[in-house]
Amino acid sequence: MLSQTVVKRLKEIVGEKNVVTDKVGLLTYGYDGTLLSGEALGVVSPTTTDQVVEIVKLMNEHDIKLVPRGAGTNESGGTIPSQEAVVISFTKMTKIHEIDTENFVAVVEPGVINFDLQVELAKQNFYFPPDPSSFKASTIGGNLGECSGGPKCFKYGVTRDYMLGLEVVLPNGKVIQTGGRNFQSEPGYDLTRIIVGSEGILGLVTKVFVRILPIPRAKKTMLALYDKVEDASQTVADIVAAGIIPTTLELMDNLLINTTEDFTHAGLPRDAGAVLIIEVDGYPEDMDEQVKTIGEIASKIAKEFKVAQTAVEVDQIWTSRRSAFGSVARVRPSYGVNDITVPRSNFPKAIGGVLKVAKDFGVTIGVVAHAGDGNLHPLILFDQRNKEETETVHKAEQALCMMALDLEGTISGEHGIGLVKKKYLDKEFTPAAMEAFRKIKRSFDPTNRFNPGKIIDL
Amino acid sequence: MGVLADVYEMLNTCNKCGGCHTACKTYKLTGIETMVARGRIQLIKAVADGKLEPNQEYEDAIMSCLLCGECAVTCPNGVHGNELVMAARRDLKLRKGITPFAKSFALKTLASPKRLGMGFRLFGGVGKSVLNKLDGMDYFRGIDIRNFPTAKKQFLEQVPERIKVQNPKHKVGFYVGCFLNYSLDQTAHSVVKVLTKNDCEVIIPKDQVCCGLPQYCYGDFETAKSNARQTINTFLDKYSDAEVVLSACASCASMLKHDYLKLFADEPSYLPKVKLFCEKVVEFSEYMDKIGVNQSQLHNSSPLTVTYHDPCHMVRGLKVTKQPRQLLQMIPRVEYKEMFEANRCCGAAGLVQAFFHEVSTDITDQKTQNIKDTNADLVATSCPACMLRLQGGINKAGQKQKVMHVADLMAKAYED
Repeated sequence: MLSQTVVKRLKEIVGEKNVVTDKVGLLTYGYDGTLLSGEALGVVSPTTTDQVVEIVKLMNEHDIKLVPRGAGTNESGGTIPSQEAVVISFTKMTKIHEIDTENFVAVVEPGVINFDLQVELAKQNFYFPPDPSSFKASTIGGNLGECSGGPKCFKYGVTRDYMLGLEVVLPNGKVIQTGGRNFQSEPGYDLTRIIVGSEGILGLVTKVFVRILPIPRAKKTMLALYDKVEDASQTVADIVAAGIIPTTLELMDNLLINTTEDFTHAGLPRDAGAVLIIEVDGYPEDMDEQVKTIGEIASKIAKEFKVAQTAVEVDQIWTSRRSAFGSVARVRPSYGVNDITVPRSNFPKAIGGVLKVAKDFGVTIGVVAHAGDGNLHPLILFDQRNKEETETVHKAEQALCMMALDLEGTISGEHGIGLVKKKYLDKEFTPAAMEAFRKIKRSFDPTNRFNPGKIIDL
Repeated sequence: MGVLADVYEMLNTCNKCGGCHTACKTYKLTGIETMVARGRIQLIKAVADGKLEPNQEYEDAIMSCLLCGECAVTCPNGVHGNELVMAARRDLKLRKGITPFAKSFALKTLASPKRLGMGFRLFGGVGKSVLNKLDGMDYFRGIDIRNFPTAKKQFLEQVPERIKVQNPKHKVGFYVGCFLNYSLDQTAHSVVKVLTKNDCEVIIPKDQVCCGLPQYCYGDFETAKSNARQTINTFLDKYSDAEVVLSACASCASMLKHDYLKLFADEPSYLPKVKLFCEKVVEFSEYMDKIGVNQSQLHNSSPLTVTYHDPCHMVRGLKVTKQPRQLLQMIPRVEYKEMFEANRCCGAAGLVQAFFHEVSTDITDQKTQNIKDTNADLVATSCPACMLRLQGGINKAGQKQKVMHVADLMAKAYED
């Protein structure tokens, strides 16, 4: 429970309406996209940087922890108030300060929803490449906290690659700006890149300078259908080996084709073992050549290869892909999402590894992958209410992580570590590297005030 | 607990992906998690699990839902947030009855033709004259009450029971509904005009009552059932020669056609009769499109730019979207302009506009802006509740567009 003094002060800072302390309100800020939950002491929604500073100072005075939160759609437990803490929700900092098309920069507040930014940018024929599947709901602040990826990462890179500068409120209540409008030369340490992906444990971002790009003049979307998911993974390796970089190279297996079809009716064949969604973009005159080359490579193994003909068809294909996670509760009510990533050339081996884990542990796994990046999301389906089954799922998840590490991969490509993957982090890093993580955290946040217990324990 | 136990699997199917954030207008405009399907569902689940005792904040979360149904369309798992909210409202009704008093009074009044008739007479007479004298009462909670139309005499008292035509091709039972009967009687006349111009004999039973939707939405299934029984018996038994039961109110039509089946799901012996009735129900635009409209007599002397607002019960309830747009474009010299988010709620949402007026007003303001952006002269729609809400919002914003029912535009074109 927060003391009356703290509640009163919070209300003075952000206004009565932007403070939640009742049980019902708190319940709805205790969960995210994972199966975890907690209960915050309070929820406070600032609307300006100054308010964030005041909140941080107040929390320091009263020694209260703070958990930052955007839309709460993450897959790592990163926004769960797992310890006694106040949740600081950025959903009311939604201003787009500036869209500067001359310098390819947009300046936004952290609560701006990725999709809403895309809509505004599109009016000026620009876009922001990182597009996690949750982009219609998730915020820019959340995207940068987790360093989200998305289908376009293969060609365009992840969120980190589009962050030019940040305004950050540090745990001591001081405000710094890292980077800015310039594309090059940030003297000294690259603090922007330390903050991005730090899951809110180092500082609270209150303003973001993002890099934007003109919308490509043309794009083509292709589908390659396979009997088996292993076959699809071979095409992925072949395309990469041929030195082609499509915008996206996405894979869904039979299970996900079916659950997404139930929702979107996009017309993906329900009997296919796997589908690859391949998109290329660029100048109109380049399209045919690229489509032809990819078609030739895919057709060596694929049972069918086709090019989407209409914008509606393309939309439906992407709605299917983006709703993959969301749709699996049609099969079982709970899922554990994994985010393992391996070097591209090892992708077929990783697919083989996933199938083996499914067989060894007798669990149902649906596979969706940003295949071009070697980033796999094996979704283990189960029912959380069944304790025995849940135990098996945890073991299978650990096996998936170890398999990825054996293939020189990583346990998390784009979802972050949060609480869910924390226990595997020291499998990937040496004790010395883990200590380096802790030292960085301590140097920013000596009292462990911001998002405690996420990524690493001190 | 029975009501929530029945929907527990669906509650448990929400995996909190947040996909509904984009669908839910109450969330988009407040940024508060208790105001989105995901949040509401988690709260209902907490109540079902016995972890939360329903309190005022819980009730606000449940009652502020627009029931627009957009979350159900957007959810990749096929979770119907609106139906779960309906279950929670039913559960609340069984726990403690309908509160506050104003809501329970409003619902009781709506259910009874006698009380409603008296209410409208009072409001149209004394009420309005008092309102006009009071400063600062142009809008009550964002509702344009001063301009709220009231019929001088209810429509049912203005017309005979049967309106005949020469060489009738069809016999149409007209379910008028409360709004068209007491408030927008001119629209009811428009419906009759369009039907008769298209060789339909119109049967207008005098003993029709509220369809029961308002009571159903707040969990009072008992009253809703009683009104539903009377409606079914009237149209099915007393006026069995009516080939169809036509409604020009998307909300009534959706209730009559789909929700009656859900309402009587626990009465298997009565259900076959309900099914017979539901199959007869048809919405105005849907019906006109089906029988084919006499286009040669449609005239229009001056060019007109028209946009269309899809009522929630039209687009997600009845799933009728093309027909009204086609009808509008049959009228000569009409230029049709689609508005942004035409299929999103206008903010009326039954009693939500009165009890959660802050968010309702924001939703309506967005809608009126979308209307303005089309540069249309006129907004057509298919639900009287939307008509009143939209016109009020437009007046409040100082805009000039007129809001009309699709039937009104067609009737006017038949006169020209």
